[in-house]
Amino acid sequence: MVPILSVVDLSKGYGAGDQRVAVLQHVSLRIDAGEFIALCGPSGSGKSTLLNMIGLLDRPDSGEVRYENASAAPTTAAASARLRNDLIGFVFQSFHLLGRLSAWENVALPLFHRGVKRAERKARALAMLDRVGLSDRAHHRPEQLSGGQRQRVALARALVGEPRLVLADEPTGNLDSVTGAQVMALLRRLNRDLGVTILMVTHDRDLASQCDRMIEIHDGRVVPLAEAG
Amino acid sequence: MIGRGASLSELMLEALSNLRGQGRRSVLALLGVVIGSAAIVALMNIAHIAQIEALRGFRQTGVDLLSIQRDAANGPGLDVAHLTDLVAADPQALMVVPFASSGTTMRAGAKSYSGAAAGITPQMNDMAGLIPAQGRLLAPVDGCSPVVVVGRTLAAELSAPGAAVEPGSLIHVGGYGYTVVGVLNAVQPQALSPIPFDDAALMPLACARRVMPHDGATGALIRLRPDADAAAAAARYSAALASSTAPTVVRDAKTMIQAMRKQMDMLGGVLVAIGSISLLVGGVGVMNVMLMTVMERRREIGLRAAIGATPGEICLMFLIEAVILALGGGILGDVLGVALTGLVTLFTPFGFAIDWTVLFIGAGVAAAVGLVFGLYPAIAASRIQPIEALRAD
Repeated sequence: MVPILSVVDLSKGYGAGDQRVAVLQHVSLRIDAGEFIALCGPSGSGKSTLLNMIGLLDRPDSGEVRYENASAAPTTAAASARLRNDLIGFVFQSFHLLGRLSAWENVALPLFHRGVKRAERKARALAMLDRVGLSDRAHHRPEQLSGGQRQRVALARALVGEPRLVLADEPTGNLDSVTGAQVMALLRRLNRDLGVTILMVTHDRDLASQCDRMIEIHDGRVVPLAEAG
Repeated sequence: MIGRGASLSELMLEALSNLRGQGRRSVLALLGVVIGSAAIVALMNIAHIAQIEALRGFRQTGVDLLSIQRDAANGPGLDVAHLTDLVAADPQALMVVPFASSGTTMRAGAKSYSGAAAGITPQMNDMAGLIPAQGRLLAPVDGCSPVVVVGRTLAAELSAPGAAVEPGSLIHVGGYGYTVVGVLNAVQPQALSPIPFDDAALMPLACARRVMPHDGATGALIRLRPDADAAAAAARYSAALASSTAPTVVRDAKTMIQAMRKQMDMLGGVLVAIGSISLLVGGVGVMNVMLMTVMERRREIGLRAAIGATPGEICLMFLIEAVILALGGGILGDVLGVALTGLVTLFTPFGFAIDWTVLFIGAGVAAAVGLVFGLYPAIAASRIQPIEALRAD
């Protein structure tokens, strides 16, 4: 197994002084290339905070998130942004597509901020839309798409930059069970076909059980495998 | 950006598409900028036109000119022979055109008119750009003959039905009979020529004495070399022609023009200051709309930041939007300003003209307003944290 990411002794808290609440305490974990991992835990367990740390959207108080072969932990907001653009694809529960842009333009957004020329952006976005089965919707706006289609556009957007890791935050949370299952199947297929590593936050034990591995967070700590469901 | 990220031109295209999406609100936000830059453009343009009008007074005579005027009411007129000698001995002067002018009543048949009797030399024809509508102008051959060339208004006022004043007519000037040899076209008044040509009866200077109250000339125009120091020449002639009983005023065209320019510039400065205040108000409008845009697009900003837009890129994105917004207002202001200028010239005798640099100033100042007032909203946008902006709601 080739590790792509190590989380080492990560701690994070919010607030100051006596009011300080520790959200993550000494979390360590490792993610290998090609894994499809479910990150589970009840609300307030700290899984979103962990996801933000792994996604380089927030900085830990101590410990580190280390991407293999990537430069040292970024120290500026700009450097974090560049690293996110290179390494990570994001999928959100509420899609976060830009209503002003067509499906392919939404997909191409990470490439726009990478400075890729328009013609290449379009070609790559269209290819990725084809991957998620939406090549006939490339010029539609998000409002003209169903929830499942929107999430597939968002998935294409997460993948278009060829990231090492896709972070999916409850990707089926806003979808009905049938559509949710379709999106889950698509994630599974992309993981298998493209070899993308996926870390998916979910409440759903059933979805979690379809993943290669499950990491459970409870009260800011990783629950040892033996105790996990 | 440096090395990576979206290019400036891509960001501009993006900004344009964003602004299009906003439609009416963008236009409303522009109102202040439009009015501000329109005011500046109109005011500066009108000042420009006024200056053109002022310079028009020198178009015929040129600007390398001295004007000498003597108030001969209580003293002698200018000694033409002395003046001619002075000019002949002055290496900076090319030519002198003396004249004598005096208010007189003129008659033809039963009609009479208060105009000016003016003694001139034939050089005045060129200097003042006189053109005959009928007949001819005065010529050296006229010598001391009792002939006159009459101005357009004078001719019209003295004409009676069936007895038009035209070449061959006889008119009386100060009790003496003169034969009309020509009638002038209308003459554009010139800043330095003290003869009201349209109202005048022009006669040879040599023998004008009989209808003038005093001897000699009442004034002269001196043509200087183009490289002459006009102010120094004016001082020289002023000293040489000084008389204790007859005040003599020597003016030079360049100094007059400079004085006029100075006045115009000051006026223009005041007007621009007023326009700038409205631009300032417009700038606050731009800031307001940009802050609203940033607030509305929080999630978009958060998303872009999450997927790799740097704070600098986001800042630049909104700055470009603000500048394009304000520049659009500036261009609208240019159009409106030119329209206002046209409206003003409709109600004044001034001719319409556009100072193109003013249009660039109008649009440029508006863009600068966008840059300055867009900075704060753009920085606010770049500080938005993706986690907070994207929190599910």
